[in-house]
Amino acid sequence: MATIEVAKKVKGAIETLRESNVRDRPLVEVLELSHQLADAMKFFFGSLDQTIQGEFRYIADFISKARDEIAELCPNEIRQERIPGASLELDAVVRDTEQATETIMTEAETLMGLECDDPVAYKAAVDDAMMRMIEACSFQDLTGQRVNKVVTTLRHIEERVSQFSAALGVTDAKREETEAEKRQREQLLNGPAMDGPETKQDDIDAMFAGDSADADQDAIDALFD
Amino acid sequence: MAVDMSMPVLVVDDYKTMVRIITNLLKQLGFQNIEAASDGKEAFAKMQEQKYGLVISDWNMEPMTGYELLREVRSADTLKTTPFIMVTAESKTENVIAAKKAGVNNYIVKPFNAATLKGKIAAVLGDF
Repeated sequence: MATIEVAKKVKGAIETLRESNVRDRPLVEVLELSHQLADAMKFFFGSLDQTIQGEFRYIADFISKARDEIAELCPNEIRQERIPGASLELDAVVRDTEQATETIMTEAETLMGLECDDPVAYKAAVDDAMMRMIEACSFQDLTGQRVNKVVTTLRHIEERVSQFSAALGVTDAKREETEAEKRQREQLLNGPAMDGPETKQDDIDAMFAGDSADADQDAIDALFD
Repeated sequence: MAVDMSMPVLVVDDYKTMVRIITNLLKQLGFQNIEAASDGKEAFAKMQEQKYGLVISDWNMEPMTGYELLREVRSADTLKTTPFIMVTAESKTENVIAAKKAGVNNYIVKPFNAATLKGKIAAVLGDF
């Protein structure tokens, strides 16, 4: 029975009760009216049960679907294997580049400090140092492979999260700026730009060409062209 | 007036490799007295103990950034005239303008070469 019909039936029963002065009515009629009201309430609660059941079924289905989607995400695998693995790879990249830089810098500093009294010995020392610097550059191959692994992990996570978000119809919620984000914004911490400096050194030089304490407006305007 | 190559120069960067690169370049240019600090806070403390003839600072450091250091230096009576060059990967126009307004003497974007560093030091201190 439709909700509106149930409501009408209950309302009708209540109005009938109200209109009939039950004190002056025989007990049989009062009983009859009570039966009518009880029937109406039975319909009402019956329909209510069905509606609630439907809602609960929808929620249960939604939770079940969400659970399946989360299972598809493989969150345990991401947390226990992929992210720690990517983190280790990045640590290795930092370590490898530091080692290579250390080697190259040390060799360069040694070369700068070499005495060149004996040209033969000097050339031999330079050749040896250059060879060690070239060897050190092999880090690039390893770091390239490690970074590729991290990129693959990030793509995997992005793909899964996107699928999950699309399946559940999730939209981004507005959130408060964190303290770290606020500091980054206030301190203009943008980090290195992709594909080289965003503002070229020549443009910066143009701003510092004069002695004015303020940036020259023409130079600033040129930066925005 | 000739640049005093024995004056103390302070290099501020949280990456030891960058400190080493700049220090080597400065030595090649003839500067003999080079010190280092790993962030603005350490640099400011050093500057209160000793007068430096030049500060070369990175921007992105914690707990105190190079930008904060610059503003602290420019607001301190005894330090405000210290020549200050920013050497940083922060290359957005807003960064350059903010540094310029805060009183930086010159600005170098990373990566840079020895000629650029020499040119900017010369622009700030005079030819050497």
